[in-house]
Amino acid sequence: MDPINTAVIVKLEPDFSEGNVSYNPDGTLNRAETKNILGPHSAIATAAAFYAKVKYGAKISIGTMGPPMAESMLQQAQLISDADDLYLYSDRIFAGADTLATAEVLKSGVQKMGKMDIVFSGHRASDGETGQTGPQTAWKLGMTFLGHVIEYEINLENRTVRAKRLVRMQGIYDIVEEIEAPLPVFIAIDPSYKSKFNTVSQRLDYERYQKEAFERAKNFKQYLKVFNAVQIEADPKLIGISGSPTIVYKVERIPKGKATRQAEVIDGANQEDIRKVVARLRQSLSTMVIK
Amino acid sequence: MEKYDVAIIGGGSAGLAALKQLSALGKQVILFEAGNKIGSKNISGGILYSKKPKKGKTYNVEDIFENFLNDAPFERKITKYILHATSKDKVFSIDLTAAHEYEANFGCSVLMNKLNQWFSQQAGEAAQKQGGGIVSGVHVNSIRWEGERTIIQTDELEEIEVKAIIAADGVNSEVAYMTGARQKFSPSELYQGVKVVVKLPEEIINQRFSIEQDDGAAHLFAGDVTLDHIGGGFLYTNRDTLSLGAVYHFDSLLETPVEPYELVNTLLKNPMISEFVKDEVPVRSEIDKDLPKEEQMRIRFAVTKMIKNWSELRDVYYSKKEKERLVREGKYGSAEEIESQLSSLRDQMSTKYNIKFDTDYVEAEYSAKLVPDGKRCRMEKPYFKNILFVGDAAGRGIFVGPRIEGLNVGIDDGARAANAVARALDKGNFANNYLGEYYSQSVEESPYTHDLKAIDKDYLKIFLDAAKDVPKDIISSKYGLVVKMMSSNTLRSFAVGFANILGYEKLLPIIETVDTYVKVPTELAERLGKSISTSYTPTIPSIGQRVAKLNFNDDSVSHIKVLKPTSEFMKNMVTLCPTKCYIMEKEGVMIQHEGCVECGTCSEQTDWKHPRGEKGINYQYG
Ligand SMILES: Cc1cc2nc3c(=O)[nH]c(=O)nc-3n(C[C@H](O)[C@H](O)[C@H](O)COP(=O)(O)OP(=O)(O)OC[C@H]3O[C@@H](n4cnc5c(N)ncnc54)[C@H](O)[C@@H]3O)c2cc1C
Ligand code: SF4
Repeated sequence: MDPINTAVIVKLEPDFSEGNVSYNPDGTLNRAETKNILGPHSAIATAAAFYAKVKYGAKISIGTMGPPMAESMLQQAQLISDADDLYLYSDRIFAGADTLATAEVLKSGVQKMGKMDIVFSGHRASDGETGQTGPQTAWKLGMTFLGHVIEYEINLENRTVRAKRLVRMQGIYDIVEEIEAPLPVFIAIDPSYKSKFNTVSQRLDYERYQKEAFERAKNFKQYLKVFNAVQIEADPKLIGISGSPTIVYKVERIPKGKATRQAEVIDGANQEDIRKVVARLRQSLSTMVIK
Repeated sequence: MEKYDVAIIGGGSAGLAALKQLSALGKQVILFEAGNKIGSKNISGGILYSKKPKKGKTYNVEDIFENFLNDAPFERKITKYILHATSKDKVFSIDLTAAHEYEANFGCSVLMNKLNQWFSQQAGEAAQKQGGGIVSGVHVNSIRWEGERTIIQTDELEEIEVKAIIAADGVNSEVAYMTGARQKFSPSELYQGVKVVVKLPEEIINQRFSIEQDDGAAHLFAGDVTLDHIGGGFLYTNRDTLSLGAVYHFDSLLETPVEPYELVNTLLKNPMISEFVKDEVPVRSEIDKDLPKEEQMRIRFAVTKMIKNWSELRDVYYSKKEKERLVREGKYGSAEEIESQLSSLRDQMSTKYNIKFDTDYVEAEYSAKLVPDGKRCRMEKPYFKNILFVGDAAGRGIFVGPRIEGLNVGIDDGARAANAVARALDKGNFANNYLGEYYSQSVEESPYTHDLKAIDKDYLKIFLDAAKDVPKDIISSKYGLVVKMMSSNTLRSFAVGFANILGYEKLLPIIETVDTYVKVPTELAERLGKSISTSYTPTIPSIGQRVAKLNFNDDSVSHIKVLKPTSEFMKNMVTLCPTKCYIMEKEGVMIQHEGCVECGTCSEQTDWKHPRGEKGINYQYG
């Protein structure tokens, strides 16, 4: 059986955790002052790839588009996933890229890694919020796209993947859809994803790989390849500013929303009131689809 | 179903020693530990001894973990061992260093979280080489036999099949209960231990206890601090903390119940101990309520951060090694620079935020656990089918004189069990007469078992020598004759020999009494003690504050079910649960399991299990 090759595309993001963010006087992010880290969604995607390593012995390549300093973030990702290869796509002409131009770089970058069975990405970035890069990269790579994945298993023999997706239907959240797709696939990991290791051997492998990850990450440069636009053979017309159709006109602070819910206060002091509450609950529940 | 050769249940010091030894013998072993990380569930006093027996052989910590002395994060080697008899502000002290050194290569203070993690690194590495390893966060919930097969079920993972099991799951061993290998220990067979870890910078400890850099002191307490219970207090110096605890016979506590933390608090209020634990403590001033909310918040954060920086830097300042390290690493230019930075930080604290400095003490962690009294409850045959019991699970704690020994005994048991299992694996024979009996015999030959069965007249002499200046009339007429007899060499040999024939356990009711632990020491202190004064009153946290400081991973379901809500025993739990998990309701006692530190005190009359994997208490010191 051929081994499974996985790629993870990750993103360098400002550290929004307590005490690490710095703002300019006008309320915009002070990028120079704010520490940069592996984005939280990227970290979850990386952990999801690690699952494939522990369970199926998959090979992991991690790629990112970013400035040279992004290499320390790749080190973080290696620490999480025991990645076998790290790729940094770095070039001045990538600057000013919107999601589409970024997807072009990532597509070319992933192709440079070799033939991939699964490509993982985070759900979205915490500084961009668009959630488009993943799907766009998948589209450019011509891969089946599976979004909001909370669990997945690979069938090595049939070379298929079975995934559970958290989907939203008719305005109702938390519906789990189970699907099967032939490899290769592109998986965008849901933020609620958590790897489950159910057997002793998986737990032991987990420990073993973690230890290896720790050792590898200490010498992460040994695993790192830095490529520019030419090296990844990206089409110059489709990358950087020239490949970015998006124009950000203005970013505004989010205005405080008006409350749209209406509350009715029921005291609950007597039987009659309680009955009213129960009736209201019944009414609301009847409109929900509960599995 | 996955198959492994051996499973060890429980990753305390006993289980980890077994893992190391079996792996060193080339066997494949899996160790299951319920805690989310090794060390998070273990507590001790604790002094870890390395034994030098006059007869026979023990497997000592440094035999199992070869680089223990060079590399292990133990705290200090204890070089002073002093017993204090107390009565109010009076203290009479007896140097018992000879008793501490008796048959010992060394005895060092330890904190279990740190130490067990180190053990697990060593043992885990050895295990990995043989295709085994440590699996933490997994709680074993049942074991069954299907023909030749032994199957282990856990709350978290798929079942596995093994050939033999070592049960190292501690004093509240579920493996023992679920297999019926032994009954639950009864109160007369147990001690309840309660401990607090107190912070104190390293060099202040050196000075205050008159000890050298790597040396340590142990102080034991009996007399009125026992609040009339059988047992006593201990204070051991760690590197930059103190372990202060109370260990009392469970029977004695049930007879006249008192809150376990009150026993610790009584120790803290003793002037000698107040002076031992005192330190300089920053006190925040009230934040002006008229300031805008955000400003108040900012100040609160800033003050917290500053106090943290100050106390970390102060720890460095008071540690020779740390100071040297940071200067060597170029973080500071010189030791003086650290000092001046510390004092400027202190100035800033008082000028900028009006922080005052007061004399008080700093408590870091509260903990509790039962300890088995091996003289009374050790398993005569510590096995069941192909399961071997080790350490506390086999009830093998030694209480002779003020020394408590459980860690070293568990390590010795662990090694013996490992040897027995390795031998059985080689032959493929796990029958009682090949595995269980062999182990049982090996344990029987252990010098520790001898200590549990018989009085050692040479050890006894040390106490008699130490007490030779004690006026004879203090020791009541009951003891007068005994002491006289024991003081003569020939008579002592004869008497001890006779006593050992009679049976050690028959003598216990005479030795372990309120007279020995309370009356005699109290009178000694009153008549001969020196008055000690203290300049402050320690601010002792309430039990609520203590519990709030602990780190729990709450489980939605309770791991304890009350079976007899109206029994006398359960009513006593309202007082005797160290973290106040029980309350009295009309229809009997009720448990609130959040806040349970899994000590086992209420186990006898409850359906008692450890929480599921990763759940429950996570000790930081232990
Ligand atoms: C206050 C106090 C003072 C003491 N002083 C000293 C001293 O000075 N010197 C000394 O030598 N000894 C001392 N002792 C005794 C000593 O601490 C114990 O004997 C020793 O810690 C026992 O080690 P153990 O490995 O047998 O058990 P434990 O350390 O209790 O380990 C048992 C482990 O098994 C795990 N476990 C339990 N059930 C399961 C399950 N079903 N599945 C998976 N895992 C499970 C638990 O999480 C735990 O980690 C003291 C004890 C106390 C409480
Ligand atoms: S509930 Fe029981 S086991 Fe838990 S702390 Fe209280 S007495 Fe100990």
